[in-house]
Amino acid sequence: MFALKRHLVHIVKYRILWMVLSAILLIPGIVAMVYSSMTYPNHAPMKVGIDYTGGTILQYGLKQKITNNDLTTTRANLEKIGVENPYLQILNVNNTQQEETKNNINSIISIRTKFIGESSEDVQNITNALSSQFETPELIQVSSVGPTMGKELFKNSFIAVALAFLGICVYLSLRFRFDYAIAAILGILHDVLFVCGAFSILGLLYNVQIDGLFITAILTVIGFSVHDTIVVFDRIRENLRYYSKKMSFGEIVDASVNQTLARSINTSLTTLITLCALYFFGGVTTKDFVLAMILGIAIGTYSSIFFCSMLIDFWNDKKNGPKPVKETVAA
Amino acid sequence: MKNKIIMFWAIVLIVIVSTVIIFVKPTKLGLDLVGGSRLMLEAETTQSIAKITPEVMGRLQFAIENRVNKLGVAETVVQQVGDKRLLIEIPNVTDLKEAKAFLGETAQLEFKKEGKDSDGNQIWVDTGLTGQDLQRSSLSTDQTGQWVVSLEFNDAGAKKFADLTKALVGQQMAIFFDGEIQSAPVIREAIYGGKAQISGGNSGFEYAEAERMVNLLNAGALPVPAKIVEENTVGPTLGADSIEKSKFAGIVGLGAVMLFMIAYYRLPGLIADVALIIYSLILFALFKTIPVTLTLAGIAGFILSIGMAVDANILIFERTKEELRAGRNLFTAINSGFDRAFTSIFDSNMTTIITCTILYLLGTSIVKGFALTLALGVIVSMFSAITITKNFMHLIFGTGELKYPALFGLSKDEIGKSYEATETKREKARFGILD
Repeated sequence: MFALKRHLVHIVKYRILWMVLSAILLIPGIVAMVYSSMTYPNHAPMKVGIDYTGGTILQYGLKQKITNNDLTTTRANLEKIGVENPYLQILNVNNTQQEETKNNINSIISIRTKFIGESSEDVQNITNALSSQFETPELIQVSSVGPTMGKELFKNSFIAVALAFLGICVYLSLRFRFDYAIAAILGILHDVLFVCGAFSILGLLYNVQIDGLFITAILTVIGFSVHDTIVVFDRIRENLRYYSKKMSFGEIVDASVNQTLARSINTSLTTLITLCALYFFGGVTTKDFVLAMILGIAIGTYSSIFFCSMLIDFWNDKKNGPKPVKETVAA
Repeated sequence: MKNKIIMFWAIVLIVIVSTVIIFVKPTKLGLDLVGGSRLMLEAETTQSIAKITPEVMGRLQFAIENRVNKLGVAETVVQQVGDKRLLIEIPNVTDLKEAKAFLGETAQLEFKKEGKDSDGNQIWVDTGLTGQDLQRSSLSTDQTGQWVVSLEFNDAGAKKFADLTKALVGQQMAIFFDGEIQSAPVIREAIYGGKAQISGGNSGFEYAEAERMVNLLNAGALPVPAKIVEENTVGPTLGADSIEKSKFAGIVGLGAVMLFMIAYYRLPGLIADVALIIYSLILFALFKTIPVTLTLAGIAGFILSIGMAVDANILIFERTKEELRAGRNLFTAINSGFDRAFTSIFDSNMTTIITCTILYLLGTSIVKGFALTLALGVIVSMFSAITITKNFMHLIFGTGELKYPALFGLSKDEIGKSYEATETKREKARFGILD
């Protein structure tokens, strides 16, 4: 029988292993988030950008390659003219990309300050300060978010995620069963937690900040994670219809996961290929956004194969005991 | 078979139409790609206007639109967001500082007369004549060759002005612009005919100063002050750079996925690749027709939707392979492969569309662009996977036995070996299975 063919992965047999593996994947991120919310002045679990806190970011393109030593000088210069706590960053423009840019920009310096209002002369002052240090800095990007706007965006993002969860939950309980919906939602939480944790760690180590696009990435990850989970659940639903008299629930789960394994991996692989192309060759501004999606899609594939199917099998055991499956089958 | 041939030509027609649209219609590029400014203005209450009503917002939007048009830049956008904000998009702006100053001025023109406050100090008091009574203003010179701003009142304004000047003969009347006194001439006689001039006092106006005042007066005063609460400006070099990089990334990504599909799924993979190209053509033509403004996030959504479009094909091929392993003939295997993969494709795409809808409704404009391109991509991908790929598969493989399993990446002894199919009578009928 095909369904009983040699399995590549065993969900039911190594259930404990998958639980432990998920815990190993999630715990460092959770620790980082707890640590961050205790140490950051705004008590956020991740380093948040100006989209949420309000502030101004100025980006200047420079002809020369700059180093961290240059940044120290720049910081001192800026503090001299009264810019409080500027946060400076070098965005690298690598050699292959540099050949394509017409204006010979070799590095980009990004300056984050508190919100600069329209009446303020700060932008002009900062440009002047940079001009005295570097040759012809070109102001290539200005982003400014007022403090109230930031709070609103945060609120809206939170509502968006909550509604997305609700929408998916309702749809899945209509098309599948309620416990499948719960398993899928837990799978999403698993993935979202992992990505947030990873960015919390990146924030602590490399000062990576989350911005308005991060929430887009998270919502895409949610969509993908459910997408993957549904393909597995759809197969379980179908197999239950044909084999529920001959096989135990656990066997059906194992068979279904293995039948969809090639598809799950291939789909994630093709999506990851396009994302990696975006990450390595795409614009600097979307790099963190793409990274969040790469992490999310990788973990989403893992969770739909191992975590979600493990959950529904686990619940089934709790309800009916391990062996017979004589329950009603959802159409 | 006849239906399939009709379908084939319908697909060809769609491809031709899409290609024509792509060549004829311009692409709408977002500010982050062409360079430009996105500003968010927030209306503030004043003593006289304590609440921002929709009516006040309407007037504010009208005045701001006028001013934005005065900047002389094509394709600007002024849009109301929420109950007290305006989103302004100005592409290719060269001097943002000036543009911002120009937008933020309330441009309140007030005529005031002499008066005394409660302590007996000399102050200027309102006369009730303001910029709202103005018909138009223009730039001209007076007898001495100084630049002056000529004012022409509307009927109500002309009457007010005549009454005022009649009452104030021998006294000073001050003209305030945005709270600053411009000049305070002594009125020698009542002025009828509704015309007046503002001179720049003793020093006179610079040309640019007078011109700016004329423009602001003609554009209309803002009913309430508005301040910039969010700003996003991208220089044109960064924009051009982003387009180049995204294009390159898109081509590399698409190319790599296509190679993978051929390597893993062989001939069906090649068919899927052709379907993928057609998918991209249709989607791009759709973007131009609607039109969807392409932003960086939008391009990310587009490239991501390619991944999802491929997924539908992968689901179908995996299923078809299983059916072939079970010993089905080609026609049945392809049909049941599509049919059985469909519920997965449909359910998973529905959830993506649900998240996209929520993003579109709640998100900011960057997020909206992403949600829209992804949702359109998912919808078009359902069509391309189900219709185009299936049609090509049937046309190319026909109805016979699978003579060369290698075309599917299968080996000969894998076929018909290891499967115990269980189907209902109805399903057998639908897939065309003969026992």
